[in-house]
Amino acid sequence: MHNALLIAELSLREAVRKRLVSVLLILSVLFIGFYLYGIYRLEMNLNERALDAGLDDRSLNGLSNAPVMYSAMFGMYLVYFLGALMSVLSTVGAVSGDIENGVMQSVIARPISRAQLVLGRWIGFTVVNVVYVALLGTALLLGLYAITGYLPPSPAPALGLILLSVTLLTALTVLGSTLFTTLANGIGVFVLYGAGFTGGILTAIGTFSDSPTLVTLGRAANVLMPTNALWLGSSYLLQPPVLLEISKATRGANPFFGSDPISAGLVLWAAALAALAVAAAMWLFSRRDL
Amino acid sequence: MSATSPGPIIETRELRKVYKGRAVVDGLNLRVLPGEVFGFLGPNGAGKSTTVKMLLGLVLPSGGQVSVLGGSPADPAVRAKLGFLPEQFRFQTWMTAEEFLNFHGRLAGVKADELRARIPQVLKTVGLDGRGGESLGGYSKGMLQRCGLAGAILARPELVFLDEPTSALDPIGRVEVREIIEGLRANGVAVFLNSHLLSEVEQVCDRVAFVKEGRVLQQGSMQELMGGVIPVGIRVDAIKPGLLEALARLGEVRHTDTQTPGRAEIELWLQSADAVPAVADAIHASGARLHALTPRRPDLETMFLDLIEDRPAPASTIAVTPEAVRA
Repeated sequence: MHNALLIAELSLREAVRKRLVSVLLILSVLFIGFYLYGIYRLEMNLNERALDAGLDDRSLNGLSNAPVMYSAMFGMYLVYFLGALMSVLSTVGAVSGDIENGVMQSVIARPISRAQLVLGRWIGFTVVNVVYVALLGTALLLGLYAITGYLPPSPAPALGLILLSVTLLTALTVLGSTLFTTLANGIGVFVLYGAGFTGGILTAIGTFSDSPTLVTLGRAANVLMPTNALWLGSSYLLQPPVLLEISKATRGANPFFGSDPISAGLVLWAAALAALAVAAAMWLFSRRDL
Repeated sequence: MSATSPGPIIETRELRKVYKGRAVVDGLNLRVLPGEVFGFLGPNGAGKSTTVKMLLGLVLPSGGQVSVLGGSPADPAVRAKLGFLPEQFRFQTWMTAEEFLNFHGRLAGVKADELRARIPQVLKTVGLDGRGGESLGGYSKGMLQRCGLAGAILARPELVFLDEPTSALDPIGRVEVREIIEGLRANGVAVFLNSHLLSEVEQVCDRVAFVKEGRVLQQGSMQELMGGVIPVGIRVDAIKPGLLEALARLGEVRHTDTQTPGRAEIELWLQSADAVPAVADAIHASGARLHALTPRRPDLETMFLDLIEDRPAPASTIAVTPEAVRA
């Protein structure tokens, strides 16, 4: 385990020294600032309209605050999407990159098992990605609360599901990195990510059109790649009752937000899939030639 | 094995590696002894790099047996005693040389306080004294190779693999690397040297192996490979009557050159260096004036070309050791 932690430390230092962290921080601050400024202007507009209508105040949980609620939802969707993007792009060459540029030979010739190396790479990049997404999501929700006084219900478990999604994507990307070239891995993981999103769309269309076949196909895609299902579960937790009622009234026609809670089984499967992906990466890398 | 002769630190038996149905290493038998500098020679595509990778556990053999330091190279405990400078010396360029060595030292299990003392030491050894704080991204190819060499010797290994260790170095760097190799040998560290520079191998190696098409053609000391002969160059004013016959009684006259007026060159192969004074006596007895009498080390380049290009060689010069038989 000592060597795995040493490799994890190397991955963290690599992320800092290659300016991955600094670039991310700067761009994220710009993103959060820009988005929160938009929410600030929205809040001002809504307050002006309320005053024009002769209202002293707006209900935080009522339909009149729906634009702010949706801002929170779309903001968190962007956090999830950026997290997914970050998980794949930061990790895509975690192992294959070092093989391709020749760094791996001198490392593996040391007394470190290949399984330890893969585990260390996954731990390092997972820490970077999870901390990044946790900070981004927290900053967005706290900013939203500071500006509007509104905080979505169950933000912590919702963020937890997004972080599980990031962990899973990082694990799958590390697995791909032990099998394929960096480019092929990047394309492959994005296609998988797309399969998960397709599952969400098929489920939404199937539910809306009452088509059991589409719903079954969507569920199969969610099992194959549960990242989108995790987001939909997260979005369900972020929606106040008024938005859930709208969602149910439209029979889940919006593929971006879930109208039902995620099943505990799917959450467990996502966690198991992440663990299986890391284990498979460790096993496969131990058996390949360098 | 007798109690007095130490066992080999590298031993392969019928080692094979097959890629897509093609045997890159095809029944390779190799023995490297403790504390020796071993040259591993062969043309491009002979399977040298694949063999080195199998000895380091980077490539898994398709068949046969491989033992390094008495164990399997797949065992991290064995690799803890190895040093390796890869041919493609690519390292994390975002690190400084000190960070690189610190990382590799920690991977090798060297304690932090020992590393603090050891890193400046090895940087000085490879000629990078005072440059350890610089980023590897700013290093020249030669400096990177020196840094890789520092990494190879950092953890005080028992066996060091050097794959083309001077490919990016200037003549001064090559001499320095040779001195480092000699220093390692003096400290009882074995060196497995894979190099195309035959003169370099000739100068530092105790024993060499020639490989071709994944098989060891011959291995042994330079003298063993020459069939135990010592080439001696003779320069006299003229070949007097009876001289060649007298020399033929002492060894094998390989070549004569009388094209230059007032000078004759003779190449004589002796079975033992002890016969050199008798050669001088024979020349004097014939009445010829002796200008030069030079016992030479065997010419590795000639041996290499003879073996690799399947050139016919006199039967007396072919040393068929047990390892020389097709693996």
